[in-house]
Amino acid sequence: MTVTDPDLTILGVETSCDETAVGIVSGGADVRSSVIASQVDLHARFGGVVPEVASRAHTQLVNGVLAQALVEAGLTGHDLGAVAACEGPGLAGALLVGVSVGKALALAHGIPYVGVNHMEGHLYAAFLEEPDLAPPMTVLLVSGGHTMIVHMEDHGRYRVLGQTVDDAAGEAFDKVARLLGLGFPGGPVIDRLATRGDPSAVAFPRPMLDEGYDFSFSGLKTAVLVHVRDHGDEQVEDIAASFQEAAVDVLVTKLFRAAEEVGAPTVVLGGGVAANTRLRERVFDEAERRGLHPVVPSPVMCTDNGAMIAAAAFQVLSRVGPTSMRAGAYPGLRLASHPH
Amino acid sequence: MDTATPQVGVALGSEHGLVAQIRLAQGRRHAEQLAPAIEYLLREAQAQPSDLAAIAVGVGPGLFTGLRVGVTTAKVMAQALEIPVVPVPSLDLVAYPVRFTARVIAAVCDARRGEVFYSVYRTVPGGVQRAGEYRVGAPGEVAAELVATGEDLLLVGDGISAHRQMFEDELDRAEFASTSFAYPSPSALVELACSRYRREDFVRASEVQPLYLRKSDAEIAWGPDRAGHEGAP
Ligand SMILES: [Zn+2]
Repeated sequence: MTVTDPDLTILGVETSCDETAVGIVSGGADVRSSVIASQVDLHARFGGVVPEVASRAHTQLVNGVLAQALVEAGLTGHDLGAVAACEGPGLAGALLVGVSVGKALALAHGIPYVGVNHMEGHLYAAFLEEPDLAPPMTVLLVSGGHTMIVHMEDHGRYRVLGQTVDDAAGEAFDKVARLLGLGFPGGPVIDRLATRGDPSAVAFPRPMLDEGYDFSFSGLKTAVLVHVRDHGDEQVEDIAASFQEAAVDVLVTKLFRAAEEVGAPTVVLGGGVAANTRLRERVFDEAERRGLHPVVPSPVMCTDNGAMIAAAAFQVLSRVGPTSMRAGAYPGLRLASHPH
Repeated sequence: MDTATPQVGVALGSEHGLVAQIRLAQGRRHAEQLAPAIEYLLREAQAQPSDLAAIAVGVGPGLFTGLRVGVTTAKVMAQALEIPVVPVPSLDLVAYPVRFTARVIAAVCDARRGEVFYSVYRTVPGGVQRAGEYRVGAPGEVAAELVATGEDLLLVGDGISAHRQMFEDELDRAEFASTSFAYPSPSALVELACSRYRREDFVRASEVQPLYLRKSDAEIAWGPDRAGHEGAP
């Protein structure tokens, strides 16, 4: 147990995929600034995130993003009490840039370094939106890289209830968008088209709907592929809406079944796909119907950002202490409870 | 600092000379070793980060992932300390320590995937002068190119060690520097950077760019056809 200044200001760095992000948070929940440089335009022509392109862009963009985060917060580096970086899971080369940034700042300012698990960062994004939020809570994390249901029993205590056995939900959105000829990234464009389509037009499968808390999106993607091949003349809006409805159905059903089973009073949504309009709507509706408290952070806090890394670091620092400067990046890092 | 090769190199010094240096050549541990090495050097030299006037960094060409650890660390530390960066190509740091020779120096670093990064240098009073571009190529082609110069050569760098037999066969009159000189020298970095700093030959942190020489795989695979010839040459 370490003692941490309750108002400690932490700068968080997030470079695990294709956002170069820096956020500054005081006292674990007060967001002073959050700057996100998205590289989406760089990767669009490749139809997906290219690791080497992402790593190069992080190295190139990081000084500007750091400077902007400090200016927007009205702070200088000397006001920082600690610096955190996402150390995994994620793309190895991309993570190494962020870890190097974190340690360089820690060295320069003589402050502690904290390595943060990306998934833990997503969990703590909820606290940035609702500082009074208290565990236990059941969390659905969905993005292009991950799909996971986590039960957060207490601060630093996590139980992973289920995750995807193949594609992440966001990956399925990207792949379906590509086969519908809609470009990259797929999430926003499917979201937009779906509002003009009929979600019941095509009865796509709901993979593993009744089986535990694991997900499988590869079969759903294949079903869309087969359908498009056989019914090429159908409205793309209807296909988008029907695909989205099937994906959202599985996500929402499992989230609420999990919450019920563990008896959590609060359900939380996180990750890039949490920006999906239909998913947000369904979580709010379902929570109201069941008398649960829904926490759905704003899209900028759901997507990868540095503030969530800083928020999680505040907990890590006060419960576990700083991370060794000898630590590295861990592309396959799993979400684990803090040692007690 | 230089992390362009399997070596993590850090040195501290001034125009009065080198204070300390660390060279760790365990490969692929750059992110783990660089920051502790800097901390150790500063502590043993009883210096604070705020005592630094500039940060010099080897900018490659080199192995991308490791190279970025050093370049990122240098540019972020420099930004935080509000000091300039002196970027120095890592091949120069391989050539400079073997400058006491009458031969033309070929600095050759292993680029993996069957290629090497290389450049050729002539010795001049007080240092070396580059006699060509920084390039990447297959070792056999590099050897043939070096043979064609007709010069008396001194070969140095871990790209030579990686393809030693072939270089010895192709260049039977060349001299080979020992493996102690295989990696970029951090003390050479301090020495070269001090004189550049004095000439105000430095850049802002945000302007530091690694010398990649190679495009990312996706850009190569994408090629000019599919990319649609965007942008002027
Ligand atoms: Zn994420």
